[in-house]
Amino acid sequence: MGSLILQQTINALTVGSIYALIALGYTMVYGVLRLINFAHSELFTAGAFIGLGLAGALGVAGHPLGGVAVGLVTFVAVGLIGVSVEIVAYRPLRGTSRLAPMLSALGMAVVIQNAVMLIAGRRPLIYPSFLPNGVVELFGAIVTYKQITIFTVAVVLMVGLELFVNRTTLGVRIRAVAENAETASLVGINPNMAISLIFFIGPGLGAVAGILYSSFYGVASFTMGFVIGMKAFTAAILGGIGSIPGAVLGGFLLGIIETFGTAWMPVLTGGLVGTEYRDIFAFSVLVLILLFRPAGLLGEHVSEETMVYKSDF
Amino acid sequence: MKLKTILLAALAATALAGAARADILIGTAGPTSNAEALFGTTWQNGMELAVRQANAAGGVQGQKLVLLREDDGGDPKQGTLIAQKFCDNKDILAVIANFNSGVTIPSSDVYNRCGLPQVTNSSNPKVTKAGYKNLFRPIANDLSQGAAPAEYALGTLKAKKAAIVHDKAAFGQGVAEVFRDTFTKGGGTVTSFSGITPTDVDFSALLTTLRTEKPDVIYFGGVMPAVGLFVKQARELGITATFFAADSAFTPDFIAAAGPAAEGAVVSFQAPPYDSSAALKTFAADYKAAFGEEPGPYSAYGFVEATIVIDAMKKAPALSRAALVDAIAKSDFDSIVGHVAFTPAGELQKPFIFLYAVKGNGFSLVK
Amino acid sequence: MTSEAHPRLNPVRGAAALLAVPALVLVIGHFLPTYPLRVLDMILLYAVLGLGLNIVVGYAGLLDLGFVAFYAIGAYSWALLASGQFDIHLPFALVLFIGAGLAGLAGILLGIPVLRLRGDYLAIVTLGFGEIIRVLMNNLDGLTNGPQGIARIDEATLFGWTLATPLDFLYLLVGLLAVAFLFVWRIQESALGTALAAVREDQDAARGCGIDTTRVKLVAFGTSAMIGGACGVIFAAMQRFVSPESFTFWESLVIVLVIVVGGLGNPFGALLGATLLILVPELLRAWADYRLLLYGMALVLVILARPRGLIARDYGPSWLMRRLGGG
Repeated sequence: MGSLILQQTINALTVGSIYALIALGYTMVYGVLRLINFAHSELFTAGAFIGLGLAGALGVAGHPLGGVAVGLVTFVAVGLIGVSVEIVAYRPLRGTSRLAPMLSALGMAVVIQNAVMLIAGRRPLIYPSFLPNGVVELFGAIVTYKQITIFTVAVVLMVGLELFVNRTTLGVRIRAVAENAETASLVGINPNMAISLIFFIGPGLGAVAGILYSSFYGVASFTMGFVIGMKAFTAAILGGIGSIPGAVLGGFLLGIIETFGTAWMPVLTGGLVGTEYRDIFAFSVLVLILLFRPAGLLGEHVSEETMVYKSDF
Repeated sequence: MKLKTILLAALAATALAGAARADILIGTAGPTSNAEALFGTTWQNGMELAVRQANAAGGVQGQKLVLLREDDGGDPKQGTLIAQKFCDNKDILAVIANFNSGVTIPSSDVYNRCGLPQVTNSSNPKVTKAGYKNLFRPIANDLSQGAAPAEYALGTLKAKKAAIVHDKAAFGQGVAEVFRDTFTKGGGTVTSFSGITPTDVDFSALLTTLRTEKPDVIYFGGVMPAVGLFVKQARELGITATFFAADSAFTPDFIAAAGPAAEGAVVSFQAPPYDSSAALKTFAADYKAAFGEEPGPYSAYGFVEATIVIDAMKKAPALSRAALVDAIAKSDFDSIVGHVAFTPAGELQKPFIFLYAVKGNGFSLVK
Repeated sequence: MTSEAHPRLNPVRGAAALLAVPALVLVIGHFLPTYPLRVLDMILLYAVLGLGLNIVVGYAGLLDLGFVAFYAIGAYSWALLASGQFDIHLPFALVLFIGAGLAGLAGILLGIPVLRLRGDYLAIVTLGFGEIIRVLMNNLDGLTNGPQGIARIDEATLFGWTLATPLDFLYLLVGLLAVAFLFVWRIQESALGTALAAVREDQDAARGCGIDTTRVKLVAFGTSAMIGGACGVIFAAMQRFVSPESFTFWESLVIVLVIVVGGLGNPFGALLGATLLILVPELLRAWADYRLLLYGMALVLVILARPRGLIARDYGPSWLMRRLGGG
């Protein structure tokens, strides 16, 4: 029993780290622009495919060190795509209504997904693993080196981001713009620069998540972003959207809810509620958490009285 | 409102423009976008190959055949719109549609209304329940596809305990239920029957539970790429049971995705091995020459379905929809996968189903 | 809009305008081949859906990303109450009310706990609700047949008139659209409409004026859900087959797009939006593989060009009536 719980926890942490990495992109954009960036999940997919193309071109497929190089280049490439998407499709809409950029993002998601399909083909591609092979046994549970690597890379990136946002001048600017773009511009911060930076880092992290994800599961398909993106977004909300530690917490929490939901629900309900209810379970937890903590777990609580904006949309 | 009228006029014009051609048209609708894009596209490629070959051999009664390919996105609503579009185009004499049972059922009402012969690739038993005379299904339905592996597991492998997983989609759940019923009827025990979602990629939580059940066989009712990932992750967790999967896994992609873990997995498919006969060998080679890749899991079916339509066109007394319905009903020939002849309900008289096991980098026939 | 109270209406011209357009659509319908006719049916159906969702999104200013749930509830009402599934065969008119009623009830039940949430959190909870309903439809095999869906649903008959062909449905949909249009327009002009506008513009001020914001939102949620439910019943009667794959999150987004592209808070906007959102993908079929890519680009371009929708909020039916009336 103990080893079973440990095994499921390891499973949960692996899935959770990927959710968390993607959730960061959603939460950073939301924190500043209050925009649900539907295109983010497709940038995740694009990252996986660009990584695959690079690995093929450089001839480093399947090599961990090559993976680091590919990861860095892909981060920059997808980051630049993210920045361009913002400039082309979101920036002109700033200050119009809140729905317009959200739906523009939806349009961009369709565009990117179909562009990936047209370039890379409809066939799910077999993905070379950049992660080391091998397993260790830990108190009866099997842990693969791949899982350890994913967890480590995710944690390093998340800690790095947290340090960047809190300890560097650029980070301070981002936070200032997130707090209040107008006031920030009064003290000489260019909001556009901060926003571009966010649209560089968020999609870049998403792209790394795409490479990790595809390496781990061994396959990349052009439609894989939508579902995982929805989950990562749920994770971001769960943790409190706009909050970076919240996204991380939400990602891991969602991984745990899903894993233990799948494993224990059929047992606890005597087979009445089967594994197919996993997504309902996850969404119900989300709804419940929001009802009791309307700003998510770590989200800044905005009471109705202190709300600075008048209308919702 | 004016804009609407203009756009509608444009729409009508487009529909009419399609009808100006003199060739014989065959319509096909399947998912060539969204998650099942690969299946729909390679399935339609199979038809395209049959049509190209027929044209190279002089067409039908001196006329050229043209395959009109449409994308239904696996969406019932789009399926019925396309069905109406095909119905309205008088030059379309037959359709090969649809790929998903959920799209075929509402579309078949539309096709039936205009008497257009419809050859379908969707395997749900319900599809032919309406008793439409113009609907034909030249593939085994879920009943055969789920039963054969269960019988093999009980009879040949002497399996006692089976764990069943399905993707909670019409096809996956359909075959999995048949497997379950056949397996229990034959004296086996089903340790668990679990649903996942078709888009899942991580099965570690479910597999960790399944491992404790110690099944002899695991049946996976679902499609690629999930099935490849499932098998791979199961082996990584040290599960040694024999795997069974349905026809969507009969592709080199499955072996590539699962890697060495695929070894020994049993896959049901509705055609004999590609190297078992000269005709199939030629098909596989021609397909690769035409599209630059190996046939997809449903390419051979698409090829056979188009062949049935073309064969009927050659034999029909007149080139009309009604004459073709009769001619297809009277189909009686050997296709590349087996003998084609229909029951009055539009099902194959002798559905063919073969079981393969993964061996090295290929599939070898086991039953 | 409502501030200019009682625009001088010329009743003859007003009635003529109100009757002329539906009549024109019906006449056009008679001359259309069946495929464009079916497309027109879909446009009208999505226009009604758009009118329904507009109450919540356009008037009350709340984002509902799970509207498809109400549509699904309506569709499954007809599928369960008029098919061989449980061998129940209720008349169409009755089920239309049952479906709308059940959907409205679901809207209110969902609304009670969630309407105190604001903005995006409300959007996410409705999204979650939409997914929960879809997964339930997919999983409750005993009730809904799960992923296999319910086939061979009865043909709808309305007082002896069998709805079988796309032309029959055109009449029904034009009728429904006219009713929904008038209903939505009346809401907009009523005290409720004013209250909704107040909630949209500034909730706290609205509360300060003595508007019971929660109740107003709840009414908006319920009525909008009812329209969604009625559309679902008609959809199921048109297709005579329902399965969960028709009620995905993407459908919810399409309905939101209908009203945002057309013009938020404007009934004409819903009509125009539905026309474009249904027609454009059909027209793009000629581009085969590039279809969805072009669709996405067109979407982005339209939104960039007209971020507040193609028809501005102020140019609604009341404006038109004033123009016609004032002459």
